[in-house]
Amino acid sequence: MSKPPPAKPRPRKAQCGHYVLRLFMAGKGSNSQKALANLRSLCQEHLEGRCTIETVDVVQDFEAAVRDNILVTPALILVAPLPRVVVLGNLSDAPTVLAALRLSNGDA
Amino acid sequence: MRGKRQPIPKVPTKIAGLDEILEGGLPRGRTTVVSGGPGSGKTVLGLEFLCRGATAGEPGVFVTFEERAPAIRLNALAMGWDLAALEKAGKIAIIEARLPGEEIVSGDFDIQGLLAIVDGHIKRIGARQIVMDALDVLLRIYDDVKNERNELSRLHDWLTDQGLTSVLSVKTHHDDNQGSQYEFLDFMADCVIRLDHRVLGQVATRRLRVIKYRGSGFGTNEYPYVFGERGIVLFPLTMAELTHQPLGTKVSTGLKGLDLMLEGGFRRASCVLISGNSGTGKTTLASTFARAACHRDERVLYLNFEESKEAMISGMLSPGIDLRPSIGDKTLLVQTAMPESTGSDNHLNRVMETIVAFKPDHLILDAVSACVRMGSKQAAFDFMMRLVSVVKERGITSILTNQISSGIANDDEELSGIGFSSVVDAVVQLRFVETDEEMIRQMLVVKSRGSAHSNRRQRYVITDRGIEFPDTPRSPPGRARKVRRKDGGK
Repeated sequence: MSKPPPAKPRPRKAQCGHYVLRLFMAGKGSNSQKALANLRSLCQEHLEGRCTIETVDVVQDFEAAVRDNILVTPALILVAPLPRVVVLGNLSDAPTVLAALRLSNGDA
Repeated sequence: MRGKRQPIPKVPTKIAGLDEILEGGLPRGRTTVVSGGPGSGKTVLGLEFLCRGATAGEPGVFVTFEERAPAIRLNALAMGWDLAALEKAGKIAIIEARLPGEEIVSGDFDIQGLLAIVDGHIKRIGARQIVMDALDVLLRIYDDVKNERNELSRLHDWLTDQGLTSVLSVKTHHDDNQGSQYEFLDFMADCVIRLDHRVLGQVATRRLRVIKYRGSGFGTNEYPYVFGERGIVLFPLTMAELTHQPLGTKVSTGLKGLDLMLEGGFRRASCVLISGNSGTGKTTLASTFARAACHRDERVLYLNFEESKEAMISGMLSPGIDLRPSIGDKTLLVQTAMPESTGSDNHLNRVMETIVAFKPDHLILDAVSACVRMGSKQAAFDFMMRLVSVVKERGITSILTNQISSGIANDDEELSGIGFSSVVDAVVQLRFVETDEEMIRQMLVVKSRGSAHSNRRQRYVITDRGIEFPDTPRSPPGRARKVRRKDGGK
């Protein structure tokens, strides 16, 4: 790839229990902004101090979207811990997102 | 204040026959929807449009929602289009936009990601045309109609804003309720093309129809199409008909006697029907013509739907007609096929490809009556009409043989085969007549457009030297005699 993606996220932490979440957004689109806000509050509540959020703007970096095969935005990828999960949408439905991220310990 | 209608700008598809139907091509900078069932050729149509454009220097992007890129490249290669080379040259970009299929959905989303990817590739190669193949697969992720429509509108607006000439293909199913599913898409698009793949009389046939074309006229019929060796081939018959060449000079039939009866022979570029019962010598007469033409160094394409090439060659040796030297020096090309082996459209395409490559002066079709086995009377009629149309356009003489089932062939329908008498310029009738001692053969010129001809039934025999006339045939009577006969006749 000729051009490195802007705002390269910090290297992933591989330690146990650390979450790496990659959020694909489309510029300043309202769903994308909603998704970022929803994700932040969700992390604050459930993953305080043990998660990294990477954001990718597909308008700026379409190669990243190609690499992860992201066609719709916003889209969230749970990069670590494996297995990888993809959640589409503005993440407004917290219980669904938590279940997808394997964070709902029976309390969803 | 009658302003001349301003034609909208168009992009030729360069697909054989399609631009005639679309009166020039697809609407430039606008959206065309191509819908059809599985196997109807939507992908091929899109690929062909892009490949022909790219080869002519117009870069294009192919977005596939269903098939993988390697499969697309392979399919294209089967048609002779080297996508990989075009990709390397920066003339084509293939975007594999396949949804993984296991996403979890939470809240609203849109196709900005896709548009960003597409936009990146478009800018990279400077594309102005785009094909989105199997858009229905993308639309599956929307579970409600409103969202689906919003996204389609977004896509449509985006494509239009970019000034892209777009082809969106969607799969429809045979039950018509599915048609309404993409009603919105049809409404949105500027041009809608429907591909239909159906089975008629056990033979698969394909039909293309243009449903709408904003700001342009178009051929409104259903047009048969086939997958030729180099892509889709359509036969817009109605448009071909008006360009027939006028009948040409006389060409010898190969029989002195018949030449006399026809005042010199058949006319070039005319359509001649040789009609008769089984065993009257239709193939012998046609082969006599072929051999004579080949001896004059003219090219003859002999289409045989009745028997194999070997059987025909050996069969003609008995009346002393040796076709082998003409086949050897490539003035005679014998192409055989079982009529039921494929649909009439494929037969026509095969013949067309041969005509283009071989460039015959004359074409013999043996026999019209066998063509019905291509599926139905209608299929045979389509085949004959289109074939005769095409050869007339090219100034090729066509000799058709037709086997009539029994008895006296006075029924015009039967005489002319399957009811296309209007395109037949001359009819030679062969028949058996029973006398007390023997069966004799008689030849009659029933009609010969634009030329005088004998009205006599002429006795002929088939010997090991070919067709011979025991009595010298008379040349056509002069006009005065003809009139006198008519007056004095009945």
